[in-house]
Amino acid sequence: MMLDEQQLQKLLRIKRFEQPPPGYFDRALIEFHRRQRQELLRRSVTSIWWERLISSLWNFRVPSYAYGAAFGVFVVAATIIGSGVWAPYRDGRDFNTGRVAVLTAPSAQENSGNRLALNANLDWSKFDHAASSPKVVPVIGPSQTALPRYVLDGRPVSFKASFSF
Amino acid sequence: MDDQNLPDDETLVRRTQNGDTRAFDLLWQKYSPRIYSLIYNMTANHEDSNDLLLEVFAKAYRSIKGFRGKSSFYTWIHAIAVNMTINFVKKRGRRFQLSLDDIDANVQNDKELIDLAATNSPIREVDLSELQQRLNEAMMKLSVEHRAVVTMFDVQGMPHAEIAKILGIPEATVRSRLFYAHRQLQNYLEEFRKK
Repeated sequence: MMLDEQQLQKLLRIKRFEQPPPGYFDRALIEFHRRQRQELLRRSVTSIWWERLISSLWNFRVPSYAYGAAFGVFVVAATIIGSGVWAPYRDGRDFNTGRVAVLTAPSAQENSGNRLALNANLDWSKFDHAASSPKVVPVIGPSQTALPRYVLDGRPVSFKASFSF
Repeated sequence: MDDQNLPDDETLVRRTQNGDTRAFDLLWQKYSPRIYSLIYNMTANHEDSNDLLLEVFAKAYRSIKGFRGKSSFYTWIHAIAVNMTINFVKKRGRRFQLSLDDIDANVQNDKELIDLAATNSPIREVDLSELQQRLNEAMMKLSVEHRAVVTMFDVQGMPHAEIAKILGIPEATVRSRLFYAHRQLQNYLEEFRKK
């Protein structure tokens, strides 16, 4: 015959009677106090300071209106930046490379008037130095994308040298 | 001081938070036997239970300033005890020895046990200490999560809802774990009966 559910539960209830010897909990409390004192002596000033800081943070409560105020500030900032009234980073800093490209005025004119011209002789050093009256343009580093390419009538025809003309 | 004459938990917690260590001693007095029983029935080892009991209360003392009263202190300290014991048992793995506490002499006069032994039950011819040992062995064959549920429900008599709160799981999970654990215990004790 197998134990039924009720019998099993009655059996398990016997375990309530498994108790430590009398006086155990009083002795354990004394041991608890001893360990607490030891821990206090062992802990460094830094850890006590840190615990107090954490504890004070727990007690710190943000007032409910602060959430509304923070949201308001966010909306105003987003509106100003989104409408273009104020845009940060207009000083010519390239976000991708972190480089600042500065050309002198004549160089910039040359560059803008002859953008598609053969630029194999491009002097990269121009891009690395600031000029006295700067005009700022975005710059691409001397990578694969900036390899010289051949153009015909102002239109690029190939990235490879052509011998047909 | 008798447990019934103690101030309520909320008062004791507030006093402890304000630095009254005596108030925490009263919380110890109120809850240490229950917490010990919970840990002991999950570890089946007196020395481990003793160490864990002290660690649980040390942790509770350190964290009591952060206790906001969203749950009762009873639930909170039981949750600390269960989590620490589960972690301990998992770390310990299978390296443990049963260390039984003596059963209180009153058990011999317990009505439920007398009834159980008087009926046509499989335990009627079993020696009590042997039965205790078999029960503990059967309990230790359960996973620690199942053992926690059985201890709280069958040994400590907690309702399903309270256990669910302590473990942070749905009540349905508590019921299913109990069902599974009871089936396993029945099988283990059946093997014992056949021997």
